[in-house]
Amino acid sequence: MIKGIVNWIDDRSGIKGLVQEALYEKVPGGARWRYVWGSCLTFVFFTQVITGTLLWMFYSPSTQTAWESVYFLEYQVAGGWFLRGVHHYMAQAMIVLLVLHLMQVVIDGAYKAPRELNFWFGILMMGVTLALSLTGYLLPWDQKGYWATAVATNLMAEVPLIGPMIQKVVVGGVEYGHHTLTRFFALHAGILPASLIGLVVAHIYLFRRHGIHVKEPRPKKDSYFWPDQILKDAVACLAVLLAVVTLTIYFHGAPLGPPADPSNEFPARPEWYFLFLFQLLKYVPAFWGAVIIPVFLVLWMFLQPFIGKSKAGHKFNVGFWWALIGGSVFLTFLAVSEDQANVKHGAAIEEAKWQADRVIEIANAEGIPPMGAVSLLREDPQNKGRRLFAAHCASCHRYNGHDGRGYPVDDKQSAADLAGFASVEWITELLQYDHYVSDKYFGGTKFKDGTMARKVLAKYTKEENKLLPDIARLLADGADLPYEKRLEKEERDGLLSLYYNDDLHFEDGRACIECHDIDSEEEGSAPDLTGYGSKEWLIAFIDNPEDSRFYGKKNDRMPCYGRDDKLKPEDIEILADWIRATPASE
Amino acid sequence: MSESSNNKKNKEDRRKFIVTTTIGASAACALFPLASGIPSLLDPATKESGNTEVPWTKITKLASLPKDGTPTKFEVILAKVRDAWTTYTNIPAGAVYLARSGDQVTAFNLKCPHLGCAVDYRKKSNDYFCPCHNSTFAIDGSVTTENSPSPRGMDTMDTKVDKGVVWIRFQQFRPNIAEKVPV
Repeated sequence: MIKGIVNWIDDRSGIKGLVQEALYEKVPGGARWRYVWGSCLTFVFFTQVITGTLLWMFYSPSTQTAWESVYFLEYQVAGGWFLRGVHHYMAQAMIVLLVLHLMQVVIDGAYKAPRELNFWFGILMMGVTLALSLTGYLLPWDQKGYWATAVATNLMAEVPLIGPMIQKVVVGGVEYGHHTLTRFFALHAGILPASLIGLVVAHIYLFRRHGIHVKEPRPKKDSYFWPDQILKDAVACLAVLLAVVTLTIYFHGAPLGPPADPSNEFPARPEWYFLFLFQLLKYVPAFWGAVIIPVFLVLWMFLQPFIGKSKAGHKFNVGFWWALIGGSVFLTFLAVSEDQANVKHGAAIEEAKWQADRVIEIANAEGIPPMGAVSLLREDPQNKGRRLFAAHCASCHRYNGHDGRGYPVDDKQSAADLAGFASVEWITELLQYDHYVSDKYFGGTKFKDGTMARKVLAKYTKEENKLLPDIARLLADGADLPYEKRLEKEERDGLLSLYYNDDLHFEDGRACIECHDIDSEEEGSAPDLTGYGSKEWLIAFIDNPEDSRFYGKKNDRMPCYGRDDKLKPEDIEILADWIRATPASE
Repeated sequence: MSESSNNKKNKEDRRKFIVTTTIGASAACALFPLASGIPSLLDPATKESGNTEVPWTKITKLASLPKDGTPTKFEVILAKVRDAWTTYTNIPAGAVYLARSGDQVTAFNLKCPHLGCAVDYRKKSNDYFCPCHNSTFAIDGSVTTENSPSPRGMDTMDTKVDKGVVWIRFQQFRPNIAEKVPV
């Protein structure tokens, strides 16, 4: 039955002959592992076409839907992370295999006559593959792709005369936007793969025409493609497949950063196989990196078959390729180690990770508005809070020693670290002289030498110091922090009595209430501590620390953010909420 | 057994092993790319339609409906609609005919139960008519023609009148079957 169908088709197509011809291709010198790379590349490309087409069913190229559709596939569609992960890591495998294939061809001298044309096709295919990587990197429209690809397209403008025009055509305008995505997508899923298919067909046709290039003397006796070489090819493909699946599972799919946002800075880094170019641009002018060096290299690659005619020429070619690869590896190493040594870069990566986790958390809970996910992040009080703190507070204050987002701050700390502000722990420390005058609290301000420090805290005895945590509990109660429990009324009354020093626990007879009001209408000589650290108190304080309720004329450089219109009231509220939201350890 | 036939058998075994391994590995590689996307591809078919609690949606004031029972068409604006990743708020999601009888209101989905075309109300004959395949429905929504393309009458939805305001529970139903089954 099956035989009948096969024969029927064969009569009309000659398929049997074709298969026969394909399978019984002679392999001079016998099947070898070093010939597997071409088949592996074909397999990887085949996988990319299939998985890419499947991804296409989920992808929506516009600035409000690209990241969102990728997020949806990654987090809401069954197995979406796996599909995307396979496509992502196969793309990386393709680059590795490409280098292996190229080096095998170069070392064996398979680029020389009569195979020049096929070598050139190979070089073109390498260019197309790199273009596929570059265009694919942008499509998720996350911060990483956005900022890195912007660098790449800016380099296009370096081409003399027509450069700026090329850039505009590729970007689809002057700025990145909808048409950048539609164009990159058309390139990535249409034009480039179609070109690659054409080139692969030509490449394989020419390869078959000239046969496998074997170095003499032949290592073994000749054999056929089927089954000896195909076995090796299939095993190698299977190994590539397993490696990709392992990577996909280990990293749980491909990374997805926070959505692209031109107003949210991100350190642009290309995919790892472009890092050598990135590093090179630190040393050479963009014109050299984008035009002169590539033109020279491509020219040499096309002349290579002729240079390689002589023995010395071939040695030069092989040596030059090794030098290129060695140089790239070295530059990549420099790029990676420079980034690793850079604390700010590490903080930026951590910050992007925080943003990605945060926006995904919100999107999972509420969905994404038509404006896109970037608006979720822009309007998120948690994200806004840390950004406001970094922009307006962190030049003097700190948050757990950093700027609120995790970045180190260059300026010297000159005001208190506000992580855990107004919590029992924070106030307890504040009331201890050594801490009070340290950089973490008032060490950078004139209050270091103020009455409170010199005449009050410095003079406490050991016994009196033991009472300070209780005072702290009373003050922290007024802050009503979301993560701390309120006191019972009786306990609060007891602590108030300590505050008033009713039982003369503080030996000099003085009470906190003499300078700092609490729960009364009167004004003391020092900041009123009624509701200290509460939302209302903090908003009023940020609004105007020079108010008589707070520091009055004693205010030391703290700007009046509300009074002087430095911050909008809603931003002050977000900031106050953010400072109060979590304990110091989080 | 002679040594040569033993050798031959070994050679045959070896070839058999090579062929099986080759075919196995090739098949795995050939099928893998498509297989890796099958769960995602079939994802929509495996998901429930969200046929959970249907929310009450405010449509209009009872007073705006003609007392004689003439149907009036209204947009249904849903408070929240999810389309894949996007959450829309207050977005038109369909339309209904509302017909009043006393203090009661009947709501018909605009979509023909046959294949989902929009049904017209014909004032002249006081009935409903689907301009796609000519299904006709009486003013009470029932099928009027014999051999009607539509297998059931127009789809009604829950309605309630609260303080002079008409609310409905807007739903879509599976087309072209005799029973009314929500999608």
